[in-house]
Amino acid sequence: MSTFSDFLFETRSAASALAEYVRGNHLRLGVTGLSRAGKTVFITAMVENLVRAAAAARENERILPVFRVHADGRMIGARLEAQPDDHVPRFAWEDHLAALTGQDRHWPDSTRRISELRVTIEFERGQGWRQGRSDLTIDIVDYPGEWLLDLPLLTKSYAQWSRDTLEASASAARAPLAADWRAATLAASPEGPASEEQAQKLAGLFTDYLRAARADRYALSTLPPGRFLMPGDMEGSPALTFAPLRFDDGEAREGSLRAMMERRYESYKTHVVRPFFRDHFARLDRQIVLVDALSSLNSGPAAVRDLETALTEVLMAFRAGKSSILSTIFRPKIDRILFAATKADHLHHESHDRLEAILRMLVARAIARAEDVGARVDVVAMAAVRATREALVKQGRMFADRADLEAIVGVPLPGETIDGETFDGAGEVAIYPGDLPADPKLVFRGDGLGVPAGAADYRFVRFRPPLRKIASDGKPLPAPSIRLDRALEFLLGDRLL
Amino acid sequence: MSGEERQRPRAFRLDDAKVLVSDGDPAAAADFRKSGGVVIQNAPDAFAPDDEPTEPKTDEQAVEIAQKRGLLKRALFTWGGLFWSALGGLVSLGFSVWTARVVDDLFERSQALGWIGVALAGVLLVAILGLLARESRAILRQRRIAHLHVALADARANDDRGAARKGVGDLIAIYAARPETARARKLVEDLTREIVDAPDLLDIAERNLMKPLDDEARREIAVAAKRVSMVTALSPRALIDVAFVAAQAVRLLRRISEVYGGRPGFFGFLRLARSVGAHLAITGGMAIGDTLVQQVLGHGIAARLSAKLGEGVLNGMLTTRIGLSAMAVCRPMPFVTENQPGVKDVAPFLFGGDKS
Repeated sequence: MSTFSDFLFETRSAASALAEYVRGNHLRLGVTGLSRAGKTVFITAMVENLVRAAAAARENERILPVFRVHADGRMIGARLEAQPDDHVPRFAWEDHLAALTGQDRHWPDSTRRISELRVTIEFERGQGWRQGRSDLTIDIVDYPGEWLLDLPLLTKSYAQWSRDTLEASASAARAPLAADWRAATLAASPEGPASEEQAQKLAGLFTDYLRAARADRYALSTLPPGRFLMPGDMEGSPALTFAPLRFDDGEAREGSLRAMMERRYESYKTHVVRPFFRDHFARLDRQIVLVDALSSLNSGPAAVRDLETALTEVLMAFRAGKSSILSTIFRPKIDRILFAATKADHLHHESHDRLEAILRMLVARAIARAEDVGARVDVVAMAAVRATREALVKQGRMFADRADLEAIVGVPLPGETIDGETFDGAGEVAIYPGDLPADPKLVFRGDGLGVPAGAADYRFVRFRPPLRKIASDGKPLPAPSIRLDRALEFLLGDRLL
Repeated sequence: MSGEERQRPRAFRLDDAKVLVSDGDPAAAADFRKSGGVVIQNAPDAFAPDDEPTEPKTDEQAVEIAQKRGLLKRALFTWGGLFWSALGGLVSLGFSVWTARVVDDLFERSQALGWIGVALAGVLLVAILGLLARESRAILRQRRIAHLHVALADARANDDRGAARKGVGDLIAIYAARPETARARKLVEDLTREIVDAPDLLDIAERNLMKPLDDEARREIAVAAKRVSMVTALSPRALIDVAFVAAQAVRLLRRISEVYGGRPGFFGFLRLARSVGAHLAITGGMAIGDTLVQQVLGHGIAARLSAKLGEGVLNGMLTTRIGLSAMAVCRPMPFVTENQPGVKDVAPFLFGGDKS
């Protein structure tokens, strides 16, 4: 049945791609990233920069110098439009922007449900036979990053998933976090009669384990199923009341606990994962993968390796390949993928190359695969909203310039700690976060997880959003950014020539 | 920093009494540091857009614009094109009518003569087709080199290893017919299989493959400049100068294009000339700083000796400029490790320096 519905979906997808091709300028931008990678902030900042570019130009603020269509002066403006899918909520751009720029400026809350936004860029073509006014419509989808973790489940059976999850939870890094749930699971008898009470208890303990592992201190990433962490509108539904069990191979007995769990796992896949994947990921033209490497680096090598596993598994699910006219119509493929290490403003720009090298290693397998099928790939250290500026800290002996520290200055979030100090979220602080290792392999080596602040060579502190300049129309100008223009040029530039 | 103790992450509150935020006045900052304080100096913003307006183009942009106006020009419809195509069509119609009539006449006189006429007309047709094929091959080749120039510049700018490898492969293919580049080609080809970053690979390719060609092109320019200034200085009539300078410029453009792997025919040459003209026009303003001074100076000294000699120097300089523009436009790589030569580098003899 699912094969048939997939077939129907392929047909519909081809038909709508054909319609879009005939209409002309349309592009679906996939913003992918695990939770807290900065998807919402990226989308908000990107849309703000596009919509306010004209206003910034009037103020003689030079924003997005690398984004050609804007830098050449060919961009007329951008506007928000009604989105195409009526059943999907609109991305609350205004609210997120208000959060960033309001009185108590703060980062937008984590995303709880899926939402969508359509932006149209108006510009004039500078070359080619279609000179003159034109526009490009970009559809962007935001969703909780946790859900992304479900994509690898599509190819796993319940038995395999149970085995993998139990194995992973036994590793040195995770065992202490998973102790309660493991004890309960190992005590449960899979072949015993199904009881709703027991299922709920196991699912509850399992969810607690996943939540604990995700906490800032540990920053683990490979934690499917995603809806356990961010249920959206499915809270308490039976499809979410299951957990891995330990059992031997062979058919499950009818009416047993294992049979119930297995049925629920399968229906989770059919009713939750597959539609989400189909509706929002199978038809993308361009993709940006946001990776928050810094929190994993903060936590330690085990968290970094975990991030690598999660990213590799997720990225396997995407269609990539060189798009030709024929494939544009019949099977849209992602022909450009940008991997972006977000929050690059948390470290000095001298370290950005090292951060990019680490990201390159994190997604090495995904890059190799994308390049194999002809997609263009780039890696960039980026900050869509730049919350810090740079400074040089001179201390100690005179003329000992080697002791100068390349620091960043900003207002840390309340509760952040470094160097034995805890911040209150008021007042600027110059922070020297430490140097990333020159050899990216070093951050993968070791077993550390939840490494305390004093023990690591580097520690990245989160900052509050920056204060904005106010334009003459009374609204704030876009915040400064790091390489957001390069990202936009890579993702959209060739469609805006 | 290896060997020393690594700095631990640190934090300094800006409102701390022991911290001074300073933008200037090094003396006060030094005093503050002596007393055990920490000075924080605001660093220039590494991500601020350059304040320079974008209009005065860099050399690379000038080359790319110039290439677009000539070598890479591709217009589906222009009035000029329409005119020439229509005229060409009419002329060839007339020519074929004439040929047909001649052949008819020949047949009337004698069967044998008629057949000879047919054979000659056939040979003519084959020759025309051959010429056309050569022209279009030459234009395609020029386009390829110009595209390669852009691709290699992009590969360097984007640090794109795949693009760099591909571009360098194309570069090697262009010079495959040149035995004297064999060693350089082998070296670069081996490198493309190793793990080398895009800029390094391009640097090595430029140093090994381009350098000898650059030298040859410079020699050609020097020879032409010398010849032009000599003939101008000696020739009795201005008309002869003009004709000679023009002929030398044409020859020089063709030679330089050949050095870098192009083989311009007639139409290819027109495109090349258009690109060189555009490049001269764009860079004319940029180079005003050095060249004008040189021209005034050079002309001044020479003109004091003789007006004719001064003209010779000026014409020589003009030829050199044309040659340098041709070099920039024909070169399949932007100048990066090699410096783009100036008038003075190529033709020092125009400035009364050492005889070379």
